[in-house]
Amino acid sequence: MVRARGLTVLIVAALAVFACGGSSSGGGSKGTITIGVSLPLSGEEASQGTPTKNGVLFYVQQHPTIDGFTLKVSAKDYAVNGSPDATRGAAVMQELIADSTVLAVVGTFDSGIARASIPLANQVYLSMVSPANTNPCLTKTVYTPGVLRANGQDVTCQAAGLPAPADLRKAHPDKNNYFRLATTDDLQGPASSLYAYNTLNLKKMAVFSNNSVYGKGIADTFSAEFIKLGGTIVLRQDYDPANTNNFKPFLSQAQKAGAEGIYYGGLSADKGCVIRNQMAGIFPTGAATPFLGGDGIAQDPACTKDAGQNAVGVYGTVASVNADQVSSAASTIAAFKQAFPNKADYGSYTMVAYDCAGLIVAAIDKAIKANSGNLPTRDAVRAAIAGTQGYSGVTGTIGFDQNGDNAAKIVSLYEDVSTDATADWKYIKAFDFGANPLT
Amino acid sequence: MAAVIRVRKSLSGPLGTRILLLLGAAILIVLVGPRIVSEGPSFFLQILTYGFADGAIYALVALGYTMVYGIIELINFAHGDVFTMGAVVSMPVMGAFGLAEGNAFGLSVGLTLVAVFFIVMFLTGVLNIFIERVAYRPLRNAPRLAPLITAVGVSFILEGIMVLWIGNSTVHYPDLLPDTRIPIGGTASIGTKDILVIIVAVILVVALTTFVNGTKLGKAMRATAQDREAAQLMGIDINRTIAATFFIGAALAGAGGIVFGLYYNSINFQLGFSAGLFEFTAAVFGGIGNIQGAALGGLFIGLVRAFSNGYLRAEWTDVWIFAILILVLVFRPTGLLGMRVPEK
Repeated sequence: MVRARGLTVLIVAALAVFACGGSSSGGGSKGTITIGVSLPLSGEEASQGTPTKNGVLFYVQQHPTIDGFTLKVSAKDYAVNGSPDATRGAAVMQELIADSTVLAVVGTFDSGIARASIPLANQVYLSMVSPANTNPCLTKTVYTPGVLRANGQDVTCQAAGLPAPADLRKAHPDKNNYFRLATTDDLQGPASSLYAYNTLNLKKMAVFSNNSVYGKGIADTFSAEFIKLGGTIVLRQDYDPANTNNFKPFLSQAQKAGAEGIYYGGLSADKGCVIRNQMAGIFPTGAATPFLGGDGIAQDPACTKDAGQNAVGVYGTVASVNADQVSSAASTIAAFKQAFPNKADYGSYTMVAYDCAGLIVAAIDKAIKANSGNLPTRDAVRAAIAGTQGYSGVTGTIGFDQNGDNAAKIVSLYEDVSTDATADWKYIKAFDFGANPLT
Repeated sequence: MAAVIRVRKSLSGPLGTRILLLLGAAILIVLVGPRIVSEGPSFFLQILTYGFADGAIYALVALGYTMVYGIIELINFAHGDVFTMGAVVSMPVMGAFGLAEGNAFGLSVGLTLVAVFFIVMFLTGVLNIFIERVAYRPLRNAPRLAPLITAVGVSFILEGIMVLWIGNSTVHYPDLLPDTRIPIGGTASIGTKDILVIIVAVILVVALTTFVNGTKLGKAMRATAQDREAAQLMGIDINRTIAATFFIGAALAGAGGIVFGLYYNSINFQLGFSAGLFEFTAAVFGGIGNIQGAALGGLFIGLVRAFSNGYLRAEWTDVWIFAILILVLVFRPTGLLGMRVPEK
């Protein structure tokens, strides 16, 4: 049945080409090339994962063939019982590896799943291009660089309890197969510092974290950059989220020490925005006392709900570009919304995934041409992706360094402007640490 | 009959108590003293109110542990999850009554809330009777470890049900109570929420104490706790009495769950696991089997937590709670007020 439908698509595509006067170089007569997709497509992250998948689907819809090969997408879901699952993630990668037409994979969404997938893909030189992973240790040996910390000392991946990039690429350490478009978590803190100090004009901050590697990491980098700018951290508390429900003692302590705002490193699930709610009665409410955090709270309806009447004035950063704010993306977004009309079809990472697919197809094209028009090996595609420089995607110019990180390092800042959890957070601005590196 | 329950006194007696108090006081003075002085009295008062509100919630749940342990010497590990269940069940009950966030607080909302309290307390009570009937009663004469393990099992089953029900992430609990701050001296203030939580806890503790000391069923409970066989010979229906104990304990836990939800506005399915650990600790700290002891123990843990979080570093909070617990138990193995358990 599936093959029959594939044939129909082929015929229709071929007819369309003839009808257009053969502007493209022949139909998909030379075979099929598949782009794998490994994302959470069910459960709690489906609302992010499915729009991300749609970005890849839309790119392939627009570019159904390449150099005589038919392009196809094979999308797989790694959520189990509603939650992303590392074992399932590894199984998904095995399935994609087993399909010999898969030359590259768009994914993953979750850094933990990437950690389970990269070693498998590395064995067979299969490239992964992630639109959304932000954990530094997927590409770098240092979790939090010393320049972003108050004491100047690196927090290595080992110290953070995470495998280093080399541990994930044991089969072929010299052949990096992992690339990403999002930037890394260590830049989220500094983006908030810059905004808090320069724009919100806050000089004294209290910093809380959920005592996790992620939470402490962004809290540390926030503090270091804030101090470097000239501000003071009046209180730092790392609490145990399982046992702490009453944050008022911290907040009273912070208020007493003269804090003008709070920075929170952690997730909404660890009661981050419950802290915001409990600030009422101790600090002036709403925008008068800003509450800043990372992507653990940003654009999260659960955060708005938890913050309740005090939701306005919560800011959150996301280590990725906001395609809606990039003028070059506008026409593609409009075309996408015509092809995928439901509101839920489009998400923060749709256009980023579109660019992932785009740069993969560009690399495949290069590899096919280098192989005199024949199907290239996965390793050749990998080498071509690794060599990506100055690719003009709809979200901006993309190029990879030797670690597989995007040269553009963009962190976007959002503000919660409504107590209504269904309302979108307002985009404030983007910080490009690729163009303006921190020193 | 009032004298049938004898309070077992610690062996170390007055000397042990004195050393304990001295040590405790020394630690307190060295660590917190200078900070308390430098932060001033109104900050102290402020932290004290947070500690009381927190402690009141711990106390409500600790009572259930202490009652069940007092009567059948079972650490009911599922009790913390019954507490969480109270919070989870109350949300649809509130929905059915039309209570939703944003309703202006008034007499009708208040009365509806009271009705919700009673319904949820009844439901969790029935749930606990069912648990007792299925998982504990058949094992009443089995070795002590068997019901302990079934209790752990029930705990996981309840958590599993709640994951299926509300999912595995944090859920927002409707914010129905007003939180007007009332100044109580200097810059310190107490919220109406804090007051309500403390009032509910005090009412329930007093009602429970009166019930156990003053009613026929209460007397039957005390008799069953002291000597099950003798009580049975005297015509007391043991099964009914134990079921009643489970009912009351769970009703208090259910009330605790609602109070928790209304106070913090955020719950998750695992809440009872860690909260239960601290509440059980509170019961042991006060002297297990002893109702006033459990209330005191809960209050104590709430206060230590508030003071550690308010004056010291949060990472140390649990260290303080358990360090003090070890100190107290080393010198007073029967807890602060002495335990009340069946004489064997």
